[in-house]
Amino acid sequence: MKPETENGLVDVLDRLVNKGLILNADLIISVAGIPLIGINLKAALASIETMLDYGMMEAWDVKTREWYTNELAKKTCAPLFENEEILLRTFGSLYYSQGIITTWRTGFWYLTNKRLFLWSKEPTQMFFETYLDQIESLSISAETYLSKERQVVNLQVNCDKVARIRVSEVAAFTEAIAKASGKKICEASSSLLVTT
Amino acid sequence: MTDAPSIHENGEGRYCYSIVLHGASVDLGNIGIDDNNVYTVPCREIAAVVHSCNAQPYVTEDNDTAKEWILTHNYVIDQATKQFGTVLPFSFNCIIRGDDDTIPEWLSADYDGLRAELEKVKDKAEYVVQIFADQVVLLETIAKNDEGLKRTQRDIRTASKGAAYLRQKQFEHKVKDAVLIAVTHLAKEFGSRIQANVDEMKAEKTPSQIPDKYKDMKLVVTLSCLVQDEKLEDLSEVLDEINNRKGFAVRFTGPWAPFSFVQLQEV
Repeated sequence: MKPETENGLVDVLDRLVNKGLILNADLIISVAGIPLIGINLKAALASIETMLDYGMMEAWDVKTREWYTNELAKKTCAPLFENEEILLRTFGSLYYSQGIITTWRTGFWYLTNKRLFLWSKEPTQMFFETYLDQIESLSISAETYLSKERQVVNLQVNCDKVARIRVSEVAAFTEAIAKASGKKICEASSSLLVTT
Repeated sequence: MTDAPSIHENGEGRYCYSIVLHGASVDLGNIGIDDNNVYTVPCREIAAVVHSCNAQPYVTEDNDTAKEWILTHNYVIDQATKQFGTVLPFSFNCIIRGDDDTIPEWLSADYDGLRAELEKVKDKAEYVVQIFADQVVLLETIAKNDEGLKRTQRDIRTASKGAAYLRQKQFEHKVKDAVLIAVTHLAKEFGSRIQANVDEMKAEKTPSQIPDKYKDMKLVVTLSCLVQDEKLEDLSEVLDEINNRKGFAVRFTGPWAPFSFVQLQEV
């Protein structure tokens, strides 16, 4: 059986947009401006999510992050209640563990004057949602992931287990939640330190 | 790691296509995106394949332009492969701040790692294998061998209308589960036979689009494989055998530069 050497567009997209080397954050102009072709949009969004999982957006300059947040937020429509205002919107992820499946679910974190939620655009769904007054505690801990140190925000809602959250601007995000919910940021307990 | 290179004042950048095992400056011609001149910038025994551009990403809303850019990026990688042997391909739209002097600085910072990666993929290429199964054949095989399913079918025939409806739903669920199990089992079987003939293998999630030819079939598995040139024959034989089995079809594409095996690594 001989391999097909004619590279159709879809096959090329599956390689070039989701895979290959990328530059580290210090050097990169941006990987922004992934072209918005119909069939590519899914791939483009997926590649951003993959990069987020690898924590590669953290050192992007502010302008690039803003561009992304705005460009892609235009394509998502998170449901808001009446009189609900967005205080902060940022890319991020949530640690999800069910049986043998553990993964970081990525999407947009929305902090509003009423809630904190993680909204995914593709497919559209709410991965996590809490009202601000249900937040019990908030802390930041350090983790190693792919042999890199990362900061994780730990959020306790009512008596549920702690939600582990990753975003690029950890300090700003956590402070914003603290301010909006009226809770103080406390010391992370050492039992929360994990290696993934 | 040395200090990060200083940000260039005049907004220059270099669009990166790939890294190659070749320690000299070479002009590849005006084959780049927007007909830019593509050339190599060496650092000791390796080099980056680039074109000179403004320090901003390539953005467009026009489908045709976007397709053009993507296909050009792939074309440049192919040409670099032809000229220099195996390359480490960049993802689309990676632009480094700076000019030709910036490049050797960052290549040098990761030199050992990059050199090792290049050696690792030398004389190898990536191939993608997709295996499809005919739904009807799958179901026939499952139905033949599954006593539980046969029993449920019999029950449906003998039941009253209401009960028959429920049993039918039950049957459909069982079939769905059975298909899933069969597909998982097949994926494992094919996977291990293929793995024996490749250096590295990764299971991929379902791609964004499937060619029309296979639209009515069930995708059992998609595998990205790093294959040594001399092992390609052996792999082809295994794929032929699977393709010749009743109700199965294999789609085999390549050679590609090793995109999946330099997996979004930061450079």
